Amino acid sequence: MSSSSPLLSVRGLTVSFDDFVAVDGLSFDLHEGETVAIVGESGSGKSVTALSIMRLVTLGTRASIDDGEILFRRPDGSVIDLVTQPEDVLRDIRGNQISMIFQEPLTSLNPVYTVGNQVAEAVMLHQGLDRAAAQQRALEMLERVRIPEAANRLKQYPHEMSGGMRQRVMIAMALSCDPTVLIADEPTTALDVTIQAQILGLMRELQHETNAAVILITHDMGVVAEVADQVVVMNRSKLVEAGPVLNIFEFPEQDYTKALLASVPRLGSMAGTTEPARFDLVDYES
Amino acid sequence: MTDSLVEVQNLSKAFPVAGGAKVHAVENVSLQIGRGETLAVVGESGCGKSTLAHLIIRLLDPTSGTVLLDGDDITDLGQRALRPHRQKMQIIFQDPFASLDPRRPVGRAVGEPLLIHKKASGATADTLVEELFHLVGLEGSMMRQYPHQFSGGQRQRICIARALALEPELVIADEAVSALDVSVQAQVVNLMMDLQQDMGLSYLFISHDLAVVERISHRVAVMYLGQIVELGPRSAIFENPQHSYTKRLLSAVPIADPRKRVERPLLTDEIPSPLWGPGTAPNHVELVEIEPGHFAAIEE
Repeated sequence: MSSSSPLLSVRGLTVSFDDFVAVDGLSFDLHEGETVAIVGESGSGKSVTALSIMRLVTLGTRASIDDGEILFRRPDGSVIDLVTQPEDVLRDIRGNQISMIFQEPLTSLNPVYTVGNQVAEAVMLHQGLDRAAAQQRALEMLERVRIPEAANRLKQYPHEMSGGMRQRVMIAMALSCDPTVLIADEPTTALDVTIQAQILGLMRELQHETNAAVILITHDMGVVAEVADQVVVMNRSKLVEAGPVLNIFEFPEQDYTKALLASVPRLGSMAGTTEPARFDLVDYES
Repeated sequence: MTDSLVEVQNLSKAFPVAGGAKVHAVENVSLQIGRGETLAVVGESGCGKSTLAHLIIRLLDPTSGTVLLDGDDITDLGQRALRPHRQKMQIIFQDPFASLDPRRPVGRAVGEPLLIHKKASGATADTLVEELFHLVGLEGSMMRQYPHQFSGGQRQRICIARALALEPELVIADEAVSALDVSVQAQVVNLMMDLQQDMGLSYLFISHDLAVVERISHRVAVMYLGQIVELGPRSAIFENPQHSYTKRLLSAVPIADPRKRVERPLLTDEIPSPLWGPGTAPNHVELVEIEPGHFAAIEE
């Protein structure tokens, strides 16, 4: 609630891969119960930002965090800089206090374990529950993400489920340890539009229930308009502009944001016409 | 005699799977595509929209039904007999990188249809290829570069240039702009509309993205489980949808306007399987004309 102390504060984050600077001096704040959308086109640095917060970006890559800090307020009230934390502290935070869901649930789920085991794994690891208690928690979580016949679904393998159900499982897994921050990287991009609508509705409802803060990485301005409180627009590794969602859509200040918004197809914009019509594009010289 | 370029009558495709069951991917579809017209086919994964496109262009053989192109029945033609008709119809796919040979300069890819169909060769072909590059907004000198040297949007322009090499009448765009960033997508959609104006092309525009479809199409067919459940002028489909599935699709699209937020019901229902066991088959939906040119399936 307090605007003075953010839950997560990214300050001057700079990440590079060899000579290529993928994120250049990015700063933004995230408060409790709030959704910040990071939007931009391919290669703008939005996913690298997400992976940097999880401190996954440097694992097995040549990436390095060159500058900046990522201040995270832990549930006990202490504030730590994630950039400088050792791996054992990070391991306690990842999937526990900050968790993440990705675009393609099938590649995030292990094909040879039942979904019940995979949801249970996180709570056994982080919260020290025994197998029976963890299975019970997994069942609760599947019910919470509104998976029908959850008890039967627990015993299923990922390939036996549809894309929408798999993404529900990922959300169940991500929320199983009651994280204060959920990072969702293109969570509905691979889903059909009717399933996307279900998942967006579900995420909003769960956020209401848990008061978790959400960082939503997306290229879809429709999704942004529907769920974001704050918007961070990125282009070519840099922050272009940031602000409340209404301001960004109605009073964009930067040319890039205006050009981006002009190229978004908006359902209903052709009402009253019969012929196709070109997009009225705004020139943007990058 | 109608002025339809393509006429599809009762087209079906069932893929057999183990145990005698069949996936009824396309079931009893009938439609026309007029000259200079864009017909969009919309629907979700597995609804049969890509299979329909492949049947029309004869990349797949139908189980039953007919495809007429320019009044000629091309349904049962062999590869050789099909070749002159193939010139009239071309297809562009979703992923341009997968559609271009990584080891050949892109100019060769664009010129290949001219060589195969003996339309031009040597310097004449090079000149035509250069013109095609200009047509889609690329520099002629880019002919000698390789696919990896281009951005996704440029690659899709190259695929469009190749599709236009034989001056086709019908271009099938199968999710052709779906993988592009939104600003690039808008540019490619604009290019496609300009080309339609200049060349009188007909498009079969296969897409799951209703907002793009609203921009580009004259008419829209909504597919569900292999069948068309609603078909009509774009304005009728978007402003006066009749079928429950069309309404559901439209209401699911997120609107890029934060003032128009809607409550999303917490549904978990999903589309049933198009798989039918041995000896069973889906019931054909019956379309009724509810206003001129606007057809919708009757629902119980």
